[in-house]
Amino acid sequence: MSDDAQDKAVVPAETDLPVEVGSEPDDFVPRYLDPKTVRLYRSPLGAARLDLLNEVCYSRVAVRQIMPLSDPEHYISLWVADDAEIGIIRDPLELDDDSRQVLSEELDVRYFTPVITKIYEVKERFGVHEWDVDTSRGRVTFSVRGLHQNVKQVPPARLIVTDVRENRYDIPDAGELDHASFQHIQRHL
Amino acid sequence: MERIDPLPEALGPSLTAAGIAPDEVRVSVRSDLGANGTFGETWFVLTGDEVVVLEADGGVRSRLSHADIRSVRADAVVGGGVFSVHTKSDSLDLLRYSNVVAAKFAYVARWMSEEIEHHKGDRDEAPIWDYEEETKFCKQCGLALRDEFAPCPACTKKHMVMLRIFTYLGPYKRAAAVVVFFLLVTTVISLVPTYFNRIVIDDVLKINFVADKQVGPVSAFFRNIPSAGLALSICVGLLVLSHILTHVLDIFRGRLAAWLTFRIVADIRTELYEKLHHLSLRFFDKRKTGTVISHITEDSSRLQHFLLESVGFIIIDGMMLVGIGILLFWLNWRLALFVFIPVPAIVLGAGWFWKRVRSLWHRAYRRSSKLYDVVGDSINGIRVVRAFGRQAGEVDRFGEANEDVRDYMTYAEQVWATYYPILGFTVTLGSLIVWYVGGLQIIRGEMTLGTLMAFQGYLGMFYGPLRHISPIINWASRSMTAAERIFEVIDSDVEQDDDGTLVAAPELRGEVEFRNMTFGYDAHKPVLRDLTLHVQAGEMIGLVGHSGAGKSTLINLICRFYTPDSGVLEIDGVDITKMRLDDLRRQIGVVLQEPFLFSGTIAENIAYANPEAPIERVIAAAKAANAHEFIVQFPDGYDTQVGDRGGRLSGGERQRISISRAILHNPRILILDEATSSVDVQTEQKIQQAIDRLVENRTTFAIAHRLSTLRNANRLLVLDKGKAVECGSHEELMEQKGVYYKLVETQRKVSEIRSKQTAVEG
Repeated sequence: MSDDAQDKAVVPAETDLPVEVGSEPDDFVPRYLDPKTVRLYRSPLGAARLDLLNEVCYSRVAVRQIMPLSDPEHYISLWVADDAEIGIIRDPLELDDDSRQVLSEELDVRYFTPVITKIYEVKERFGVHEWDVDTSRGRVTFSVRGLHQNVKQVPPARLIVTDVRENRYDIPDAGELDHASFQHIQRHL
Repeated sequence: MERIDPLPEALGPSLTAAGIAPDEVRVSVRSDLGANGTFGETWFVLTGDEVVVLEADGGVRSRLSHADIRSVRADAVVGGGVFSVHTKSDSLDLLRYSNVVAAKFAYVARWMSEEIEHHKGDRDEAPIWDYEEETKFCKQCGLALRDEFAPCPACTKKHMVMLRIFTYLGPYKRAAAVVVFFLLVTTVISLVPTYFNRIVIDDVLKINFVADKQVGPVSAFFRNIPSAGLALSICVGLLVLSHILTHVLDIFRGRLAAWLTFRIVADIRTELYEKLHHLSLRFFDKRKTGTVISHITEDSSRLQHFLLESVGFIIIDGMMLVGIGILLFWLNWRLALFVFIPVPAIVLGAGWFWKRVRSLWHRAYRRSSKLYDVVGDSINGIRVVRAFGRQAGEVDRFGEANEDVRDYMTYAEQVWATYYPILGFTVTLGSLIVWYVGGLQIIRGEMTLGTLMAFQGYLGMFYGPLRHISPIINWASRSMTAAERIFEVIDSDVEQDDDGTLVAAPELRGEVEFRNMTFGYDAHKPVLRDLTLHVQAGEMIGLVGHSGAGKSTLINLICRFYTPDSGVLEIDGVDITKMRLDDLRRQIGVVLQEPFLFSGTIAENIAYANPEAPIERVIAAAKAANAHEFIVQFPDGYDTQVGDRGGRLSGGERQRISISRAILHNPRILILDEATSSVDVQTEQKIQQAIDRLVENRTTFAIAHRLSTLRNANRLLVLDKGKAVECGSHEELMEQKGVYYKLVETQRKVSEIRSKQTAVEG
C-alpha cells in the first residue's frame, strides 16, 4: 500500500535515546516493546488481550497508529483500554502471525477508512461536492464541503477525503485509479 | 577630545574669562533650551576637573568640581529631559533640553557615570566614547525618515528605482533581448499599413490624381501596374500580410513577456521574503503585521502588473513617437510642423498630471493599508470585542476608516476623470489643425489626398502614445511607489552582517555574563540599567519582578533580538554581538506563554528546529513533555494538522507541544517565559513535570508569575525598574526581607484570601 513508508522502514533510534525495552516503567520515556515478548490473542468472548512475556497480561487492549497518514504500517501504540499507553510496537511484521492478525483486526476497527476503488461521479452543487464511489467496503455516496480543507493530500499521491459527517475515505494512490475515476478528481482539485 | 557639538567661537572669550583654556574642553554639548525652558541655547562643557554650564550669551550658569560629583543622570520628562548631577548630599539640575537632543545627553550621562565608576576603581577599563548620531534623518537632505531603517524617499530617484528593477533582468538577458527585438520589429511593421493606405488612394485608386508629381519607387511600381484591380489585390495582400505578421509577433512577444515578468517578480518577492527573515526585530516593532504582509503581496503584484502591461507600452510608444515623427516630416514637413503645436501643452500637462496623480495614489494606498490594519486588529481580538460588547464600536471604527478610503479613492478617481479628458482634448486639437491646414494644401494642389489620409493615420498613432502616456504614468507611478517600498525593506539593515570577524560557537557551555549592561528600546529611555550578573553553565535563574521591571527585555537580549546599548553581554566569554547568530540561536530554546504552532502536523511542529529528526526522537520528546499520550489519542496521531484545526488544541496541549519542541531542540540555554501561566492547575502540574526534566543540565532563565514555580531555581534575580535589586536563593532572599520577600508575602496573602473565599463559597 505505501511503498514510501516501507522504504524508510524502522529508523534506528539515535544512540543517546534511552529506549531499552523492559526498563523500569518511566512516564517520561517511550517504551518500545520487543516483538518477541508480545503476544496478542482473543479472549473467549473476543476481546483483544495482550501478554507481555514474563511480565504482565492485559485483559483488554486498544491499538492506535502513531502516524496514521504518513506511516500507518509502523509504530503501533498499545493502550490499556483508553487509559494509558503500554508501549509501542515498531514494526508489526516482527510479531508472530496470530498476534499480527489480532492487531490488524483491531486496527481495522479503530480506523474505519474505506478505500476508494472507483469513482463514478463527483458533482458540485453550491460548494458541496457529492461523491459517488465504490470502496473496499461497498458502494457509497457522501458529501464533502470545502474540498480544499477536507481532501488531505499526503505525498506522493495519497488522498484522504473527509465527508461532512467526519467519515474518512482513503485513496492510497490517486495515480492507480482508472482513468475515468482520476478525471473525476482532477476536475475538482 | 570628545565633543558632540563644537563650541561656537563666540563663547571662546567667556570660557577664557571663566579660566578655561579651549584645549581643556573634553566634552561640549548644546542643549536646545535656554533659561526658563524657552527655545534657545545652553552649553554643557566638561573639562578635566569641572562641569560648566554656559548661557548662550556666555554667562556661566553653574559650575561644579568634578571631584564632588557622585552621579550623573539624564532623566526623561515629557517632551524632553533634565540633566542633573548629584553630590554626596545634594543634587543640581544643570540644564533642560527637548527630545531633539535627548539622546545626546542620555549618552553623555551614561558615559560620565561609567567614568565616575572607573575613577572609583570599580572598573577595569575606561569607558570608550563611541557616540553616534541617531539616523532618524536623511544624511543627504535632512528629511525626517519614517524610521531609522527607511531609505530617504526624497533622495530615491524614481528612475533609479526603475533602473534597479531592470537589474533583476540579469539572469534573463537573452529573453529580454528577444522581447525588445520583437517590439522593434512589430513597431516597424505596424507603420506599413498606413503607408499602403496612401498608395491605394494615390497610386491605385488614383483619387484626386496628380500625374506630373515626382514620386518614390514604391508609388512608381504601383503606377506601372497596368491593371488597377491587380495593383489593388497586391496592395491589399501586402496589407493582410503585415497585419498577420504584427499579430503573430505580438503573440510570441506577449508569451515571452509574461514568462519574463513573473520570473522577475518572483525573484524580487523571494529576495524580499528572505530579507524579512533576517531583519532586525526593531524593524517589526515599528510596523504592523498588516503593513509587512501587504509589502509582500500587494506591492509585488502591483509591480508585476506594471512590468507585464506598462513596460511594453512604454517601449512601443517611445519608438512609435520617434519613428512616426520622422515619417511625418518625410511625408510633408510643413504640415508636420503644425502637428507639433499642441505637443508642449501635452508634455507640460502630462508632467503636472504625473506629480498630482502620484501623490494621490500614495495617500490612497496609505489609507487602504490602515483599513486592513483595523480589520486585522478587530478580527484577531474578536473575543475581546465580544466580551466587552464593543461590536458597534468596532464597526464604527471600521466605518470611519472605510469612509476615509471611500472618500479618498473617490477623490483620486475624480481628479483622474477630470483631467484625463482635458488632456485628451489637447491631443485632438492637433488632428483638427491638420485637417484644416492639410485640406487647404489639397485645395491648392500642393498635396495628394493619399498623403493627407496617411498623415491623419500616422497622427492618430503619434498622439495615441502621448495620450497613452497618462494612463501609463498612472500605472508607472503606482508601481514605482510600490517598488520603492519593496526596496526599502530589501535595503534595511540586517540583524547581523557577517564580515568575517564573527566568532563561531558550535558548542556552547551556557555560561552567561552581564557586565554593566544597559538597554532601552529607545536609546535614551533605558529599560535595563547597569545590570551585572554571572550565570554558571547549567544554572537556573528565576527572573522576578513587577511587570515592566525588565524581565522580558532581559530575555530578548539573551536571544539577541536586540543588542545592549552599553555594557557587555557575554556567553561563554564571547561578546554576544560578535557571536554568529546562527550558532547562538541554534542553541537557545524558548518556551513562551503563548506558544506559536505553525501550520503543519504535530510531528513537524515538534521537529521544527530539526526537521531531519527521526520519528523516535520526536516521540521521545513528546513523551518527556507529557504530550505523547494526548497526541496518540487524536485520530491522526502525530499526523494531526495543527494549522487548519489549531483551535482544537487546548492551551495546555499547545504548551506541551512547544515544550516537546524545546526538548528535541536540545538547547544549551533555555528560556521559559511564563510557560505555565495560561493553563489550569492540573495541566500546570504536568507541564511543570515536563519543565523540570527540560531544565536539567541547561542554563535556564525562567520568568514565572507564580513564584512557587521557580522553586527549582538555583538563584532568583529580582528586577525593579530595570535594576537588579536582589539576587540569591529563595531562602537567602526571604531572610533579606526586601523586594522579593514582599512579593512572596503579597502572593501568599492573595492565595490565602482566595482559599478563604473558596471555603466560604463552598
